[in-house]
Amino acid sequence: MKEPLPMHRESVLPNVLAGDALRVEEPPMDSDAFAGFYERSARPLWAYLARVSGDTALADDLMQESFVRFLCAQQPEEGEVADRRYLFRIATNLLRDHWRRPRTASIEELSEELFAASASSDQADVLGPALALMRPRERQLLWLAYAEGYTHREIAEVTGLATASIRLLLFRARHKIANLLREQNSTLRRQP
Amino acid sequence: MILSSCSHEKEVAELLRRGQWPAACAPELRAHVSACRSCGDLALVATSFQRARSEAAGAAPIKSPGTLWWRAQLRRRNAAVERIGKPILGAQIFALLINLFVVVGLLVYQAQHGLGWLIWLAQLPQAGTQHIDKLWTSTLLNPGWSPLVLIPALATLALLAGVVVYLASDRQ
Repeated sequence: MKEPLPMHRESVLPNVLAGDALRVEEPPMDSDAFAGFYERSARPLWAYLARVSGDTALADDLMQESFVRFLCAQQPEEGEVADRRYLFRIATNLLRDHWRRPRTASIEELSEELFAASASSDQADVLGPALALMRPRERQLLWLAYAEGYTHREIAEVTGLATASIRLLLFRARHKIANLLREQNSTLRRQP
Repeated sequence: MILSSCSHEKEVAELLRRGQWPAACAPELRAHVSACRSCGDLALVATSFQRARSEAAGAAPIKSPGTLWWRAQLRRRNAAVERIGKPILGAQIFALLINLFVVVGLLVYQAQHGLGWLIWLAQLPQAGTQHIDKLWTSTLLNPGWSPLVLIPALATLALLAGVVVYLASDRQ
């Protein structure tokens, strides 16, 4: 004779009464793997945020938020390089949201003077003042290309721009900042 | 601005990427870079950014990853709570609408067929259990006048409908 199936509350209202309804999504990596990933990625990410925004306090906040969002996101496992790219993408979006928030304007419409004041405050090197005169979008592209070494396709993935337009934008930005750097260098040489 | 690039740019970019510029660079290439505007721009910009990156990375205030892990876990849990709250709310609204519909329907029905049960209620304190028997008998004999059966039946129906909607939403 067949045993009758036990009549549990859980079988009547599955997940609810048993408390299993609170199915928390699994993070993309376990805590040890995350600690390693954080160790390797936190510094480059902070450098990117700090240099592009020109605000170290903002870079702190956005870096933490980027990592938390990264852990909350469901994404396919594609290795650390892809994970880092995804992290930079989150940070780029957070940065864009931050710039849009106070003035409800497009990132392209914001003037570089808005960023120059805060950017030049703690950047005593040659690149700092030159970077402060660039548009935020140009800073992002230049940093991703020349500091992080990303390809045009990877930059497109991080910024959400079309790959075809990256080449032209980057070419213009590079030409502009190279001129600024040369001016800075010649000014420094003239100083006693 | 004309988008023109030098044929040596890839070679220079590769040396810069490997950190071999200018130490491991051939003298001819170095001479070319100093003469070529495009390659000169590339070398100047890339070295400036790489230096800035290492300086900024060294100054980065690194906090414990455990705190971020905990914050993410808390956020995931809150998201899960919010997710299960949605079907429950939907089921509650559905059950409420069903109940309102039943009440309105009952009131309309009673208005059309006379309020006999109100008279029974008014006489209740005077006669006690005798009236309950009468009501029960008349309910069984006359299916048209059946608030005693109708109300609990419809309430059960509404409750079950709510549970069914909840389970369907939860599965989705």
